[in-house]
Amino acid sequence: MSKPSDLVQGTLDMLLLKFLALEPMNGFAVSQRLKQVSGDVLQVSDGSLYPALHKLEQEGWITAEWKTSEYGRRAKYYSLTRLGRRQLEKEADNWGRLSSAISRVIKLKEA
Amino acid sequence: MRPEHWLFTIPLRLRSLFRWAQADQELDEELRDHLERKTQEYVAQGMTEEEAHRRARLDLDGIEQTKERCRDVRRVNWIQDLIQDLHYGVRTLRKSPGFTAVAILILALGIGANTAVFSVVNAVLLKPLAYRDPDRIVALSNFSPTETATALPEPVSIPDVQDWHDQSSSFEAMAYYSSRESAVVSGSTAEYARVTRVSPEFLRIFAVGPVLGRLFTAEEMKPGAPGVVLTSYAYWQSHFGGDASALGQTIRVSGPQPIVGVLPPGFGFPNKTDLWIPLISDSPPRGWHSFLAIARLKTDVSLERAQTEITLIAQHLERQYPQTNKGRTVAVRRLRDDMVGDVRPTLYLLLGAVSVVLLIACANTATLLLAKATARTREVAVRAALGASRHRVVRQLITESLLLAFVAGASGLLLAYGGSKVLVALAPADVPRLADSVVDRWVLAFAFVISMITSLLFGLAPAFYAARVDLIDALKLAGTRAVMGGGMIRMRGVLVVAEIALAVVLVSGAGLLIKSFVALHNVALGFRPENVLVMRATVPGPLEESILRARQFFGGMLSEIAKLPGVLATGATMAPPGNVESTGFYFLDHMAAQPDPNAPAVILNIVTPGTFAALGIPVKNGRGFDDSDTFNRPFVAVVNEALVRQSFPNQNPVGRTIFCPFDSDKGMTIIGVVGDVRQRGPAREPMPECYMTYGQHAFNGATLSVVVRTAGDPNTLADTVQRLARERSPDVPMKFTTMEALLSDNVAVPRFRTLLVGVFAGLALCLAMAGVYGVMAYTVGQRSNEFGLRIALGASTGSVVRLVLGHGLALACIGLALGLAASIAGTRLLKSMLFEVQPNDPATFVAVGILLTLVALLSCYIPARRATRVDPMVALRYE
Repeated sequence: MSKPSDLVQGTLDMLLLKFLALEPMNGFAVSQRLKQVSGDVLQVSDGSLYPALHKLEQEGWITAEWKTSEYGRRAKYYSLTRLGRRQLEKEADNWGRLSSAISRVIKLKEA
Repeated sequence: MRPEHWLFTIPLRLRSLFRWAQADQELDEELRDHLERKTQEYVAQGMTEEEAHRRARLDLDGIEQTKERCRDVRRVNWIQDLIQDLHYGVRTLRKSPGFTAVAILILALGIGANTAVFSVVNAVLLKPLAYRDPDRIVALSNFSPTETATALPEPVSIPDVQDWHDQSSSFEAMAYYSSRESAVVSGSTAEYARVTRVSPEFLRIFAVGPVLGRLFTAEEMKPGAPGVVLTSYAYWQSHFGGDASALGQTIRVSGPQPIVGVLPPGFGFPNKTDLWIPLISDSPPRGWHSFLAIARLKTDVSLERAQTEITLIAQHLERQYPQTNKGRTVAVRRLRDDMVGDVRPTLYLLLGAVSVVLLIACANTATLLLAKATARTREVAVRAALGASRHRVVRQLITESLLLAFVAGASGLLLAYGGSKVLVALAPADVPRLADSVVDRWVLAFAFVISMITSLLFGLAPAFYAARVDLIDALKLAGTRAVMGGGMIRMRGVLVVAEIALAVVLVSGAGLLIKSFVALHNVALGFRPENVLVMRATVPGPLEESILRARQFFGGMLSEIAKLPGVLATGATMAPPGNVESTGFYFLDHMAAQPDPNAPAVILNIVTPGTFAALGIPVKNGRGFDDSDTFNRPFVAVVNEALVRQSFPNQNPVGRTIFCPFDSDKGMTIIGVVGDVRQRGPAREPMPECYMTYGQHAFNGATLSVVVRTAGDPNTLADTVQRLARERSPDVPMKFTTMEALLSDNVAVPRFRTLLVGVFAGLALCLAMAGVYGVMAYTVGQRSNEFGLRIALGASTGSVVRLVLGHGLALACIGLALGLAASIAGTRLLKSMLFEVQPNDPATFVAVGILLTLVALLSCYIPARRATRVDPMVALRYE
């Protein structure tokens, strides 16, 4: 069972929140989007994706709704809640600070 | 978490909890949908349908595993898991009713026995006394230096208590009292009632007030005051029907005394007293140690401080009154500890023994569970393969253990309910507060906690072993037979060894107690207790009057009883063997000018002529008393051999003069020597004793025990004797018993503990036997192929039996060795309870070793026989 070990802890949550902030989508679409956007850099298996989505739902950050999909069958669509939006802002903020701090460190000139 | 967060999450959680099935179905649908789309995508990329499907599943890391992880993120999972586990547990247990019944029976016995013993310990040792601030009530008693080994608290004298009272500052109140069964005449009936004479501050110590009437006034506690009585609530109810008109009615204890008050229900200190009267004593001597003292500590005073203060005062008194107080130390102890006295070690012993039984029961259940876990290896493996995490499997197994333990705990509670009644019935009658043993909330809590602990003890090891199942191996095993890992076999061996070792400890303890009890029974008592009727009777009334009447009453009774058919001999004594009524000092040839603390101690007894014959005490030298030894003849005495050994080594004491200050200081000529009687019960050595005759000594004469030796069963005579006594004096209360019954009361405590430890040891032995049997039967089952092969290859029946027995005996011997080592270390704790037996008695240990070996052989025998009956053909075909 592979875990997204190369993903910084909590980053997967942020990415998922971000995707769902753009538009409500179902689990399959999220997995496709992950692959498109990040290429093969972020390897998130489908097996890790669903527990992560369920966790976000359990936290109340996203909510799920059953809709009829374009294939004519019921699918579970996730969308961001108000709480989720706030959480996303917080995490994006943290991420910004963290990444700029890290890039500053990386850019330090070697003596 | 913020409140608004809860708004979202709580409904979700509730939904996960209550609409679990729906949520699970949705999860299923969601993943199926994902799988389909993914497959279609792979097909679009050019894969075959089958390949695409496989890839999609692989991407999901296994559908069931992912589902389980999705379920895991729902936080209420543990509740669902618990409910699910319980459902599953109930199902599993019901599916194997045999295992379940045996396990519950074993555990219920263990838990029930523990709970029953605890209910007694709780009532006697733990519950606070039912008085206000019970921890502040203390008992003060003397400890004399003569009996250093097992110092028992001794009575105190009134002047000493008065000095402690006046010179100390630690106590709010202090009082002395004396309590005994007395003849009480109420209306026209005479009966024995417990009468306690108390000093002024007695009732203040317990902070009790009257429910009716009043307490004693200061005037009523002074010498010369007319007598007054307080009754207990129970006495008031039973004798006056709880009527307020009881006030002012007279009761005759020593003289007619009016009732002035009734004390509240539940108060009956000491020993369920019926009546309290003022203790008035005009200048009592300091050497008269016949009273008990209690006190109430001030709020801020610790027991230690009170003890320090009293010790200082006692040292001061020792210097001031060396003749009476030399070497007398004073102990301040909590009243509860004082009341419990010498049953405490016995109760702790029982608690220890019964918890060993529970440990064995746990080990036994654990071996059962291990066997079951083996059978369930495949089940566990399948569950693990379907995505159950390891800790989830462990939790499932522990839930089952808990379930077992609680069912067993509930059944154990039922056993304990009956068991504590049996314990109370078996226990010595004089254990304080024993009758209060009930299943209350503390006992319930105890049963609950012990069930929890039990389930952990027997359930943890099997659960972890089960969780360590190797998935691939277990699944690959196609056959019906699951193989137990080497670890598990070893684990069961260890458990069985532990069972045997624990059983050995208990059986050794029981063996020592039984041997000691037998020794107690076989001790030379110095008299013949069989076929002796004992009638205790007290002539009521003021002392002078009652002594005169008693003389007529007992004299007449003795001559009439002697005429009855079947009566061999008859007499009367102040203290029948096993009881000591009075002790004092003796002097030879001449009386000491002043009290001498170094004078030899002696037990004093008053008997009528014929008593030695009735009790079967042999006259060794000279003669016993006869009717010619009257008040106006020279005073005479009979001494026992212990006194002769102490004071007349190699001399003839007959004709010498002895002084035993009792009711007169007159010298008495020793006319005879009788054999030693164990006056203080079978466990204690005879002390020097001086017998005086009823014809010459009147004091204490209102109460005597008539002893009648009969040809047949003495109990059949009781009715006739009672009728004779009623005709003669209807107002004389009587109590009938037999010498054997009195003797049996004397050894009630050792009998109680020997019986119980014996029962527990028997139980332990049976459980250990079952444990050995279980393991051997299982091993034989596992190795039946091997045995079949051996037989096919020509092994004899004998060699197969030897193989199995050898294995069983090896386990038994390790257990035996460990158990004996533990026993040798542990039985030292029994030292104070053993009589004429050393704690490391080799004979007992050898006997225990032989017994255990036999038991082990017996429990291996059936499995061994089974091993020889393995059909070689079946075994070979199987391979």
